[in-house]
Amino acid sequence: MPKPKPAKNYQQLSDEFAELVAWFESDKVNLDEAIAKYEQSMELLAQMEAYLKTAKNKIKKITAKFDGA
Amino acid sequence: MEGLVLTPADFVALLNQTLEFAYPSVTIEGELSNFRVSKNRWVYFDLQDQEASVKFFGTIYNLPGPLEDGLRIRVVGTPRLHPRFGFSVNVSSIAPVGEGSIKKAADLLAAKLQAEGLFDAERKRLLPPVPQTIGLITAAGSAAYADFIKILNERWGGVEVQLADVYVQGQQAPLQIVAAIEHFNRLSELADVLVITRGGGSAEDLAAFSDERVVRAVAASRIPTLVAVGHEVDTSLAELAADQRASTPTNAAQLAVPNRQDVIAGLKATGSSLNVQLNQSLQLAITDTAQGREYLTSQVFLLLNNAQESLNSNRRLVTLFDPRAALKRGYAIVSQNDQHIASVRGLKVNDNLQVQLSDGKINSKVIKVSRE
Repeated sequence: MPKPKPAKNYQQLSDEFAELVAWFESDKVNLDEAIAKYEQSMELLAQMEAYLKTAKNKIKKITAKFDGA
Repeated sequence: MEGLVLTPADFVALLNQTLEFAYPSVTIEGELSNFRVSKNRWVYFDLQDQEASVKFFGTIYNLPGPLEDGLRIRVVGTPRLHPRFGFSVNVSSIAPVGEGSIKKAADLLAAKLQAEGLFDAERKRLLPPVPQTIGLITAAGSAAYADFIKILNERWGGVEVQLADVYVQGQQAPLQIVAAIEHFNRLSELADVLVITRGGGSAEDLAAFSDERVVRAVAASRIPTLVAVGHEVDTSLAELAADQRASTPTNAAQLAVPNRQDVIAGLKATGSSLNVQLNQSLQLAITDTAQGREYLTSQVFLLLNNAQESLNSNRRLVTLFDPRAALKRGYAIVSQNDQHIASVRGLKVNDNLQVQLSDGKINSKVIKVSRE
């Protein structure tokens, strides 16, 4: 069975992850939230890694003619 | 034909018709002379060799960049007899030819564009670190295209590459490249980066990338540009005008996207550092709890001590107030009808009084009352 594709693109995952890292680096850290956010971070990391390992580039040839006219 | 008498206008029309049929397009290569631009729009020049000179007419939009007499150029155009000004070739394209002329023309253009600030470092924009859409302008069948896509696929995924397949050399190349740049810049959803690339070649092959129209289009692009032309040693003016230059098509792919292996390694390192931070938070919480416990214990001890102190002092007070202690010291408690009395007021002779001493009671009678 193929692995389900992540619903978010890399940029969205990356932005969410950056937010969590910023939270950890701020002075707002408290233990209850830290545990939840850490788990969230690990889940995002797994999704990002899966995305990076499986995402393919798409090539779309433009049909317009570039005659320069 | 001999007996046919024509007016000058008829003759011009007839000749033009013949020329158009016989030579719809001619390509002439020679040395540029008498080059001049009129009213900032019309261009006149001659092409000559040792035996002949031909007049040309065009517009500044046909120019690949600034030109000067002595350059060797190749001109494509249509021969035409003008009713008043005589014979000329109407220019459709001009390209310098030969290493020397191409270099000279590029130097002239470089100096002009440099003075305009097109190559200034302050104009350069950063390319997005992770593009989602790349506009790729190159020849679809070229090795440059294959190299770029190969390295792109090796390094990263999830990018949409929109390919504009254009000529990257020859007469049509400059206008096709310009049209492709303009196409990408007209789209309602702009690509994140525009990659313009081709492989190595002779100075003539690469000339389109030093064409003024191409260089200006690169500089004017709203989308950040990454230009890679030729091998490491080749530098075109389009590269100088680009936000970022790459040495080869392969290098362009390396600069356009990050390497997924590096990113995965970086993500893992960040994950580990988050783990360390979480453990620190946990440790901090444990330390806080231990300190809290210690504080609370000391507070409870303090309270207990205080209570003990207070109890002792109350006990001392109670002992002080215990009437039995006073009795032992020789004092007595006098009562009348089971009521303690502390004054002689109201006492009369013969009243019965009880006197309590430390070891017993005395029933007594008042025999005299005197006040002090």
